[in-house]
Amino acid sequence: MMNLKLKRREFLQLMGWSTAGATLAGCDLPTTVTLEEGKEEVVAYLSPEEYVIPGVGVWYASTCLQCAAGCGIHGRVREGRALKLEGNPDSPVNRGKLCQMGQSGVQTHYNPDRLSKPQLRKDGKLVDISWDEAWKVLDEKVGAAAKTSGARVAWFTGTVSGHQAALIGEHLDALGSRHHFVHEVINNAVGRAVNQDVLGEAMPRLALDQAKLVLSFGADFLGTWVSPTHFATEYAKFRSGTRGVLVVAEPKMSLTGANADLWLAVRPGTEGMLALGIAHALMQSGVSVPDAARPAVAAYAPVKAAEITGISAQRIEQVAALLKQHSPSLVLAGATVEGQEQGYQAASAVMLLNVMLGNVGQTIVSSGEFPFPQLRPRTGNTRDLVAFAAAAKDKALDVAFFYGTNPVYTAPASLGLAEGLQNIPFKVVLTQFPDETAAQADLVLPVASSLEDWGTHVAAYQPEQGVITFQQPLMEGLYPGTPGVGDALLKLLKMREAQKYGAFNDYFSYLQNAVASLPEQYKASGLTNKQLWEQTLQKGLLTVDSAPGSLKTNVGEITLHEVKADAEYPLHLIPSPRLGLWDGRHANIPWLQEAPDQISKVVWDSWAELHPSTAARLGVREGDVVEITSAHGAIKVKVYVFKGVHPDAIAVPLGQGHEGYGRYANGIGANPLKILSPAIEARTGELALYGTRVKATRTGVHEELVKEGRNNISQRSRKLVVTISAEQFRRTEGV
Amino acid sequence: MKETELHHDKDIREDLAWSQINSDIMKSLENPRRGFWYTVIGCLVLLAIGITAEVLQYMYGMGRSKNHPHMWNLYIATFIFWIGMSHSGTLLSAILHIVHADWRKPIYRFAEAMTTFSLMTALLFPVIHLGRLWNFYWVIPYVPARGTWPNFRSPLSWDGFAIMTYLTSSALFLYIGMLPDLAIARDNTTGWRKKLYSTLSLGWYGSDRQWRIFRKAYMLMAIFLIPLAVSVHSIVSSDFAMSIMPGWHVTTFPPYFVSGALYSGCAAIVTLFILLRYYFRWEEYMTLAILEKICKLTFAIAMVWTYLNLVEFASVWYGHDIYGKEVLWAKMTGAYAPVFWSMMFFGSVLPFTLAFRKLRRHIPTMMTVSILLNVGMWLERWMIISPTLSQSFYPWSWDVMWPTLTSWGIVLGSFGWFGLLFLTFVKIFPSVSMYEVKEMVYHRRLASEKAQAERRNTGGAQPAFSLSMRKEDGS
Amino acid sequence: MSLENLTQDWSRYRNGIEEGGFHNYEHRWGMAIDLNACIGCNACSTACYAENNLAVVGKERFSKGHYMHWMRIERYWDEDQAKAEFPDQGANFLPMLCQQCGAAPCEPVCPVAATYHTPDGLNAQVYNRCIGSRYCSNNCPYRVRYFNFWSYPESAWPAPLNLQLNPDITVRDKGVMEKCTFCVQRIRVAKDTAKMENRKIKDGEFTTACAQACPTSAIHFGDLMDAESAVTKLWAKHQVKRHDDEGLPVSTQHKQNPALRGYRVLEELNTDPSVMYLERVREELA
Repeated sequence: MMNLKLKRREFLQLMGWSTAGATLAGCDLPTTVTLEEGKEEVVAYLSPEEYVIPGVGVWYASTCLQCAAGCGIHGRVREGRALKLEGNPDSPVNRGKLCQMGQSGVQTHYNPDRLSKPQLRKDGKLVDISWDEAWKVLDEKVGAAAKTSGARVAWFTGTVSGHQAALIGEHLDALGSRHHFVHEVINNAVGRAVNQDVLGEAMPRLALDQAKLVLSFGADFLGTWVSPTHFATEYAKFRSGTRGVLVVAEPKMSLTGANADLWLAVRPGTEGMLALGIAHALMQSGVSVPDAARPAVAAYAPVKAAEITGISAQRIEQVAALLKQHSPSLVLAGATVEGQEQGYQAASAVMLLNVMLGNVGQTIVSSGEFPFPQLRPRTGNTRDLVAFAAAAKDKALDVAFFYGTNPVYTAPASLGLAEGLQNIPFKVVLTQFPDETAAQADLVLPVASSLEDWGTHVAAYQPEQGVITFQQPLMEGLYPGTPGVGDALLKLLKMREAQKYGAFNDYFSYLQNAVASLPEQYKASGLTNKQLWEQTLQKGLLTVDSAPGSLKTNVGEITLHEVKADAEYPLHLIPSPRLGLWDGRHANIPWLQEAPDQISKVVWDSWAELHPSTAARLGVREGDVVEITSAHGAIKVKVYVFKGVHPDAIAVPLGQGHEGYGRYANGIGANPLKILSPAIEARTGELALYGTRVKATRTGVHEELVKEGRNNISQRSRKLVVTISAEQFRRTEGV
Repeated sequence: MKETELHHDKDIREDLAWSQINSDIMKSLENPRRGFWYTVIGCLVLLAIGITAEVLQYMYGMGRSKNHPHMWNLYIATFIFWIGMSHSGTLLSAILHIVHADWRKPIYRFAEAMTTFSLMTALLFPVIHLGRLWNFYWVIPYVPARGTWPNFRSPLSWDGFAIMTYLTSSALFLYIGMLPDLAIARDNTTGWRKKLYSTLSLGWYGSDRQWRIFRKAYMLMAIFLIPLAVSVHSIVSSDFAMSIMPGWHVTTFPPYFVSGALYSGCAAIVTLFILLRYYFRWEEYMTLAILEKICKLTFAIAMVWTYLNLVEFASVWYGHDIYGKEVLWAKMTGAYAPVFWSMMFFGSVLPFTLAFRKLRRHIPTMMTVSILLNVGMWLERWMIISPTLSQSFYPWSWDVMWPTLTSWGIVLGSFGWFGLLFLTFVKIFPSVSMYEVKEMVYHRRLASEKAQAERRNTGGAQPAFSLSMRKEDGS
Repeated sequence: MSLENLTQDWSRYRNGIEEGGFHNYEHRWGMAIDLNACIGCNACSTACYAENNLAVVGKERFSKGHYMHWMRIERYWDEDQAKAEFPDQGANFLPMLCQQCGAAPCEPVCPVAATYHTPDGLNAQVYNRCIGSRYCSNNCPYRVRYFNFWSYPESAWPAPLNLQLNPDITVRDKGVMEKCTFCVQRIRVAKDTAKMENRKIKDGEFTTACAQACPTSAIHFGDLMDAESAVTKLWAKHQVKRHDDEGLPVSTQHKQNPALRGYRVLEELNTDPSVMYLERVREELA
């Protein structure tokens, strides 16, 4: 602030400076009044940084970290502020497009609830401390652990990749620990296991655009599955020209289901039987079945499958006929299939269809081996959450670092994680925001936002050539002293192995060095290291050679058990993920809270989707609060009556029910993850997220469910959205 | 005065002395009943509520009273209501004046005052309703420095012209008509009142020349005002009729609005008639016979209004415009149905009480009925606005909204404001025209003398012409 | 202000009215939105928030309809499915934004001419001129005009969120109507750049925030006056015509091939929207 009590002489001086400033600004001369001398510049941008032109936006390439898909972004920077993010057209993942979570990256960055100072627990309370003290405490505590029990140090992170993942690995190596727990609620760990076993590759490439028909069992590839923006761009190709057919079978309509030509409300937990029923129908029409799977397929004639799944035998046969007619097709299994106690078997049954239909090699192709194993993504899962909770309970850990995940919020109460954390003497949370996990921490280290930080990332799903995407700061840190994640890791490593890492001033130089030490083949046409570095940053990514291999088709035996009815808890709880709030990490972004849910159009709330018949049975209507009780707890949610959910299911979206996640998230709705049972998928050890049985009871409370479009049932005979048949479309626009 | 004398069947007694008229009317400037002051306090409270609500709305934003898609709501409804109220004064004064209906004479003054004040109340609403009311003058075509004219295509800017013209003319009409009475007041008062009336009476001393010019000017204004009044409400109706919204885009809106206006105006006159009669003990001037005549007039207009309503419904129903039909159907069966049917009941069924002589002459009943008729007319305005906004072309934005406390507060405040203006007026100006009442008495006297003479000449035969057709005891 | 100025102003105004607005557009920005591609994901809507400084109003105010979704995704369910047990064919998504009508019902009713037609064919909203009579919103058949019922700058952008605000456009305060501008700030930059470089604007040189974000590229934006633009070609391909192609008034589209997918929403009202939609497509499965 300028002191307004100016004397005349001072005023004239100031006038002189502004005139001089105005002149100087034009010819880019350095000014004599600088920040170093402790004075503010008279005219902003008197000597601007390179590329900074007042009033003109400059675009920098970086990587979106709002989910793990690894979309490339271009950030618009004006006058030193990051303003808007767009997709990077060079990125093979998103091809210049960006979803709403990516768009909201700026609000994660500028979030008013961001932490600016480290906090240390003193006398049971977290108090602000200086950075020097924070590093000192960290050095002492980890140093002490390293001396006695380095193996009892753990990292608990979300999906990480690139050099950050490598540094975490090296930090653990330096301590002699092997505890890197990687946790994501929204994952496809079971699917990856099936892929690995059947195809020999955990995440092959899916050629959606080549498919004539996509049959999705709960794989919400347009919304929350693997790489939604990428699949949405591919979906556009899939739907143009000859226009592929989309069939979706799931117990609760996802965004993908909402775009289906045929949406099948399958009874929760019976997707595998439906897949086998379809396989049976295909077998009847002459498609050969791998021997190992033959008994399972034979057991589920369409009529029997119909009985179990609630999908009529005609429909099953129709889908089989469509699959035969539209070749090649692509059959996908998503979270509702995998998140069951027999999820692996069910997902295998789905994969069986791909094998039977000959899709492997056509629409499912090898993505090849990523050449830098240390940079490969550590993909999140829930098995590690279970393992971590157990380790904590068993007092097996002394120091735990948390980064990029909020397990206290995401862990089901039945895992006893919050209590288990009490057994870990020193918990360090690296986070941008105060969250539920940070509230349990002993030391909270604020880290730079993704728009202030350096990094490299390797997406788990590589749509084309393998790429390393680069993340660079779009602007100076909002809170001086706040380190980037890489910088923090380097600092931790220097505490342990000062010799090895002393050469790197910061993470920036570490990354520069990493690029410089790339194998020769990446330095095409005689680029200098600097040129290569700059070119990479400009493009935002580095393409690597990953020679595609070939996929196998090892279908194993499939054994599915019938899902038993539960008299006490008759409903299946579906904790459905939302494109937007995701697993709850974006609940503190006002844009995403105010963006209506794609299907229900509800904002700023949680709700329980109930089929009209179920709602009638319970005697509830929209806005009535019901109590959803499982054997492990209860939540209260408002009812949203909706036909796009199976009558045996009750769907509660993820993301709300935060208690310590800032002003935009706190006190809104409920968190369905809390009441999940600790049931485990038999083969992979993943949590069976969709396997919890609940009952719903009215509470008698009624509150308005806030949503856009109150009368949102139909168009009332207006010509707003007009639908024509695909037949017609192919005749007039087909290729 | 004996009780029986009050229930005579004449518009006015022909034996009233002119000095008595003067003193009876001038009394209103001094000593009203206590009820008058209670009413003043009531109005002040209402006004305070209104001002509080407006201050809150000004400070925090229109969201206190408005919601999407109900961009217009109570304010515009109340605006039309007050504009409608203003029509009665003109009707009674001007139309009845040029058709020489003598019975208007004791009641037209306050009706004209009502016109002026309800217009002043109505004018507040488009301004209160603005999101940025501090810029309201941009609607006025003042000489703009940047060449930014208002949009002359917008019915809202027509409103401004129409209402301002009407307000000026009706205020002028009220003032001109009051000149001789102001002179009487000047001659009968002292102090500040004398100064005020001396100035306002413009040197009136009742010469023949003054009377001649006065009559001409008054007649001229009357003739000018009638088409103006009709056009004002037609223009207000084009705020709706000129839009494209179903339920608003209706050809019959101008006559419908005018008839509704006259209707509510007449009902308001009944209310004020009864109040003034009570406050100032003017039973001798505001006679039941006159009340009956206004009631009959109100009844006739009610039937016209009902007819126009049916015309509108029928044309929508048989027009097969699905949007319009849906809005009509929603009015009748949707969330606003209770309001709609109340409006139909108050507007079309309740007026049948006016068809019965016994009820017409029962003051408490007429007081209640006249207020309820106006409630009905107010609901009508609301039912013009809200159902269309809640359910128009675009189903995604369909929504039912109920007014907030803030808007109710401002609506109540407007009644306080109007009441205060009116009550102040009746304390400062003679609210019954003394000179015209004298004229009326004189006409009666002449007629009765003529009748007596005829009776004498024809030897007691029935008079060929009698103003009071029904014989009654004590007359 | 001289009398001469006054009369000039007046005659300019009069002539403007008699000519019935613009006919010789420099540009006419238009869109084509393919409902076959739209998946209803909301990316466009959030991109619009980021680009156009749209205020977040919060739950309480949202429930009263005070929200600012310049670009909103409507979701309808099939009418013939009303009696079915499940929505077998998914949802009907419709991205709805200001249609930038050629014969806009909102324009004539504004008492202060705060909304008017630009030579670009845009339906402009002059925030500074708006006095908040909200007549335009009442007369908009698409209900795409949003009113600032409250003062949002402090509540919607607590520091440092305010640093994200796009300096190219204003932040609206209470009492002002706002709506989609077709990202007029981007149009301005493109026009200025083209002018400086003494060339015409190239098709695809810039696009609106929603079109840029759309993962399925369902939104196409361009100049309908440019015969070579992708949007013009799409309009021509689907035989949808603007009014001034045929001279006023043209009631509905004159398709030779009714099987083509192009249509404009509520076209029967003769508003001449600049947004063409392409019909949603579904497989006919018994």
